[in-house]
Amino acid sequence: MYSDLLHALPDVFAWTNFAAVVIGVIAGIVVGAMPGLSATMAISVLVPFTFGLEPLVALGLMAGIYNGAMYGGAIPAVLLRIPGTPAAVATTFDGYPMAQKGEGGFALQVAVVSSSIGGIASAFALMLLAPPLSKVTLLFGPSEVFWVAVFGLASIIFLLGGNPIKGLISACFGVFVSVIGSDPIYGNDRFTFGQLEMLDGINIVILLVGLYALPPVIDLLETPLKTDGVNSSKLGTEPIWKALPRMNYWKTWLRGSLLGIWIGILPGAGGSMAAFMSYNEARRTSKNPEKWGEGEPEGVAAAEVANNADTASALIPALTLGIPGTAVAAVMLGGLLVHGLQPGPMLFRDNPDIVFGFMWQFLFGAILLVLLGGSLATNSFARLLNLPRPLLGSVIIVLMLIGVYSIHGRMFDVYLMLGFGAIGWVMDRLKFPLPPVVLGLILGGFAEENLRLALRIGRGDPMVLFQNTTSLILVALTVSVVVGPTLKKRFIDSRKKA
Amino acid sequence: MKTPLTALALALTATAAFAEYPDKPVEVVVGYSAGGGTDVMARTVAQFLEQELGDGASVVVKNMPGAGGQIGFTEVSEAAPDGYTLGTFNLPAALALTKDRAADYDLDSFTYLANFVEDPNTITVAATSPFQTLDELIGAAEADPGAITLGLSSLGGNDHFAANMMQDASGAEFTLVPFKGASNARTAIMGGHVAAGTMTLGQTSNFPDELRVLAVLAEERSPFRPDVPTAKELGYDVQMSSLRGIVAPAGLDEATTEQLLRALSAVNENPDFQAMMAEQGNPIAFMAGDDFAETAAKQDGIAAQIWAETPWK
Repeated sequence: MYSDLLHALPDVFAWTNFAAVVIGVIAGIVVGAMPGLSATMAISVLVPFTFGLEPLVALGLMAGIYNGAMYGGAIPAVLLRIPGTPAAVATTFDGYPMAQKGEGGFALQVAVVSSSIGGIASAFALMLLAPPLSKVTLLFGPSEVFWVAVFGLASIIFLLGGNPIKGLISACFGVFVSVIGSDPIYGNDRFTFGQLEMLDGINIVILLVGLYALPPVIDLLETPLKTDGVNSSKLGTEPIWKALPRMNYWKTWLRGSLLGIWIGILPGAGGSMAAFMSYNEARRTSKNPEKWGEGEPEGVAAAEVANNADTASALIPALTLGIPGTAVAAVMLGGLLVHGLQPGPMLFRDNPDIVFGFMWQFLFGAILLVLLGGSLATNSFARLLNLPRPLLGSVIIVLMLIGVYSIHGRMFDVYLMLGFGAIGWVMDRLKFPLPPVVLGLILGGFAEENLRLALRIGRGDPMVLFQNTTSLILVALTVSVVVGPTLKKRFIDSRKKA
Repeated sequence: MKTPLTALALALTATAAFAEYPDKPVEVVVGYSAGGGTDVMARTVAQFLEQELGDGASVVVKNMPGAGGQIGFTEVSEAAPDGYTLGTFNLPAALALTKDRAADYDLDSFTYLANFVEDPNTITVAATSPFQTLDELIGAAEADPGAITLGLSSLGGNDHFAANMMQDASGAEFTLVPFKGASNARTAIMGGHVAAGTMTLGQTSNFPDELRVLAVLAEERSPFRPDVPTAKELGYDVQMSSLRGIVAPAGLDEATTEQLLRALSAVNENPDFQAMMAEQGNPIAFMAGDDFAETAAKQDGIAAQIWAETPWK
């Protein structure tokens, strides 16, 4: 089962494939360091351009960007108390106080080492878990896949945090978008307004580029960033190998990695939730919790290890079942599909070199993070914050337009993307979460298609949905996700009263 | 050629066309994404067609995916019939979709040049299935009508027609389960979520250990799987397949048609081309001109009949 893993290794070291990872990591750190730009956005803008590339070059870029961006977000989080990506919010808690105390350099070093460890752990989880899981996915027929999709929708609405009603509305919008196009069984047109371009439904990459790239670009153009706070001479950096012995956070790293991996596998939740949970757990078990929030390096370690540990693990359900756990994983699936790689059990059989090579690239991306992010460039990355933001925004808009046009070579898609961008901007302003839209589109489509297939197989009898253990386990998980938070809250309330 | 004058005029235009064509790149429109089976065939044909047209001719493939190929087929049907726009043509899919929706083209919108590939449908079960022969499967379907589920890649395509024709020929009743694409249907068959399925022989070829092909729906056994009987041998006279060829818009002048037919026939006879197609696992069934048009008309009739008897939407 794992021999394919070794066979895939030589290809990864082909210089183009390796260079792709290196460039990806650097680009990822840059993107992550820019407040407003996220890994999801960078990868969605990139996907249309990877069409002409070799699969491993394209996937290497994506793996590198994902790993890099998850660390890059820590740079402005530490220096400016502005999280570069949503996943870096928890990094500001102790990172910024450290920078104020003149320990900004050490904070970033803790961040990069922790990020790297989280990424390595996640890559190993992907390598160990995905191959055996891909063998059992044949057991997932239409009714099981239907329940996986329902479970995913339930978890994204209820586990994302924030307002479940807004999450629900976002998810409903995504599910509505999934309905556009010809229906999966009979091919009847739905909401296509007679446009042939709409018959195949809404391409996920078009939606992602619009939703994830346009709102932050508008922000970039709108709000100038005050960067007076960045004074890299005050970072107080020492070489990273001298700083390493001061980092002794093995427990936090281990716990954060496991949490991050688990949250990555779960559909719906993502890096920011992993970082928060890891931070809270680490503080709860700390000997001196009162120091947390005032510049405790272990807090930075806890947040950063967890937000990188969900990267590769989010691909476990994506590669084996074709069901992405996070928005980034959804974009990466889009990237795979562009190269004709259909996720699912056959992927591991038909393209072992690519799928296992991709896993190695995740591992090397995480390792490279320490070398690239840690030793040579933290200072230069910090200066990136001084780049003129309108220029950056304009470049991204141009890339978005070219990229989306090039998917099918038609302007229709560009208008569609701009339309989704406008919707995304409004949603962003009204504080509606965006990930449920993306997963609603994907999981809603899965749910409908597989429900109808299952009912057809059962000749209309809905009991077909409850006929085996896998289905029943998934039903139980869904119920626990929906009622769990309410029960927990009641339990805590009743204890408070007592 | 009613009068000497028109004959002369025709001869003139013919030589003119012959001398000039092609003086700019010839476009082959593919209604599917790059990298798929039809696209690979188009690129292979294009590469050899360039050589055969000679004189530095350039043949470029243009992908216009969408709406199950409809966007590409429509593009070809509406292009100028000047020989500079050709297109790939998939039977029965291209004509089947003129039945179930308002398409801007029909059987008569094309000049049928050459068909290259014919991949026959099969009746296939999982290797772990209790059904060893086609008769056992049909027996089970007769014993409990509708209890046997049959996975397909979609409604309104060769898989669906194959299943329908199989039901008609045997009198058995299957529950048809249209998955989204052949690979999903295949996975469901392998996982035992449907009892059997119909897909083309090419789509089974990479899975000899996981799938058992019970019958090929063709006139003769396939050279790729001579061990598999035809349905006809087993007493069910059913033939259905997926065909891929090259068409031009209707109204292409005779001289250019002739020139393209000659060039495409030469492509087919090129041993390098044959070798390349075999390597891709594409069973060649070359039909040129009228033969191809006749097959298209026959497929159109089958689609129309099935649509009339059991409309699928």
